[in-house]
Amino acid sequence: MSTVTTNAKFNLGQLATTYNKMPDWLQGFTNATLGMSILLFFWWVGGILIESNPDTEAFAAFAPGPALTALWELIGTPFLWDTILSSLERILYGLFWGIVIGVPVGVLVGYFVFVRQVANMPFQFLRMISPLAWMPIAVLAFETWDGAIIFLLVMATVWPIVFGTAHGVQRIDPNWFQVARNLGADGYQMLRRVIMPAIAQDVFAGIRLAVGVAWVVLVPAEYLGVTSGLGYAINDARDTLDYDTLAAIVVVIGAIGYMLDTIAAKLIKYYSWKME
Amino acid sequence: MGSANIWITDLFHFYNKKQVSPTLENINLTIPQGQLTALIGRSGCGKSTLLQMIAGLLMPSEGSVRINAHTVTKPSAKWNMMFQKPSLYPWMTVRENAALGLVFSGTYKDKKDRVEELLDMVGLKDHKDKNVQQLSGGQQQRVALARSLATEPDVLLLDEPFSALDAFTRAALQTEVAQICHDYGITMVLVTHDIDEAVAMADKVVIMNHNPGRIVGSMDVNLPYPRDRNEAPFIELKEYLFSEFEKIDQAKESELEQMAS
Repeated sequence: MSTVTTNAKFNLGQLATTYNKMPDWLQGFTNATLGMSILLFFWWVGGILIESNPDTEAFAAFAPGPALTALWELIGTPFLWDTILSSLERILYGLFWGIVIGVPVGVLVGYFVFVRQVANMPFQFLRMISPLAWMPIAVLAFETWDGAIIFLLVMATVWPIVFGTAHGVQRIDPNWFQVARNLGADGYQMLRRVIMPAIAQDVFAGIRLAVGVAWVVLVPAEYLGVTSGLGYAINDARDTLDYDTLAAIVVVIGAIGYMLDTIAAKLIKYYSWKME
Repeated sequence: MGSANIWITDLFHFYNKKQVSPTLENINLTIPQGQLTALIGRSGCGKSTLLQMIAGLLMPSEGSVRINAHTVTKPSAKWNMMFQKPSLYPWMTVRENAALGLVFSGTYKDKKDRVEELLDMVGLKDHKDKNVQQLSGGQQQRVALARSLATEPDVLLLDEPFSALDAFTRAALQTEVAQICHDYGITMVLVTHDIDEAVAMADKVVIMNHNPGRIVGSMDVNLPYPRDRNEAPFIELKEYLFSEFEKIDQAKESELEQMAS
């Protein structure tokens, strides 16, 4: 008995030493794997609880086993890829218009104190309204369901981009303008060589937030009218009592959201110039 | 590199209309080509304002600044300014910062060698590919110097460019910049409140006073380059300039007292 305990202690100590010796990236990977395992564990426990309760027994397919099997089958079908593509397309349109509107507005807000003071209250007010609250208006104002959804996404993406850009512009060192003018820069060169590189990381930080909000808003927005996209797929799976597919789509939504966030984080890192 | 005459004629400046005495009053100054001029005075005497007008960053209320055949109305890489802060762009390497003026004028492709030579000359041979944030304050100011020189300026304007540096680096850069301007025949105008710096770098020292800002005296510095700061003539000139400066200051004080009583 006592020998076993000593052995276990020894093993734990050895494990800690091995962990400390690992390079940073491997430690990071191990920790991420641990986190995902914990999540999977809770999902699995949840599945067992659902199955064992007679009231919820019918939803047993939510458990990781059936869901991951359904996911594996879905990956082979064009249905899943079409669904993902139409959702991504809407996100891209929403982001595109969010950037086209948000960046110039953000530059104005950041640059002119007057504009900032005028815009602050209304923008903070509008920002606090859930994008989904615009749904009735969007449905009235746009001819197509797609148009309405993209409008909702723009309402979600534009604010973080405006505020991110404005923050970036406010951080610009005024001496940078003076030096550039002094070296003979014209307006376009000032924009291209000074303003854009100076604010890029803050714009992308805004875009990262925007992507997060937009992805969250997209799924309920796709409950509207349309017959494609991940939100529609979830609704459809619910209506056909296809719970394993429903859970599989939820996994897909999480995975793609994580990917989009990673891409945005990479862009921020690429465009950031501040050194520690 | 070319050289320039600077003519400043009947120049007045008011920052706002309510001002009783002008920021700058009746400034007349001619700087021959290739001369190194130091403008000294207490803070608030308008010396930096005057320098910004030579650079074209600020327009005088009355009068004009001419450089060669041009009346200065806007900034130009041909008469450019080095500031107290190097204000380098932190997203660029040393080389990219130094080349910026040439990039703006669209001539960098033809003059790449020039940027390399200048960076070698200012002692940054091994730092060209580094990000400017990795450099020390003195090295950053050297990048700013190379950036100013890359556009082959006729006039180099310095607004207390070494005041943020440690004493050793400051002295080294003072000597180097004066030498470079002499070698290339660049007309240099330096704004400073450091008498040591003025005597170390300039051919001519112009003394300014405040309220109103005007030129109240000047002194030629006929010492050979490179200047030895420990030699008797250097120290004598410095002391002479200091006493002149004090005299003017005391006269100003008593004048102000008289006005008050």
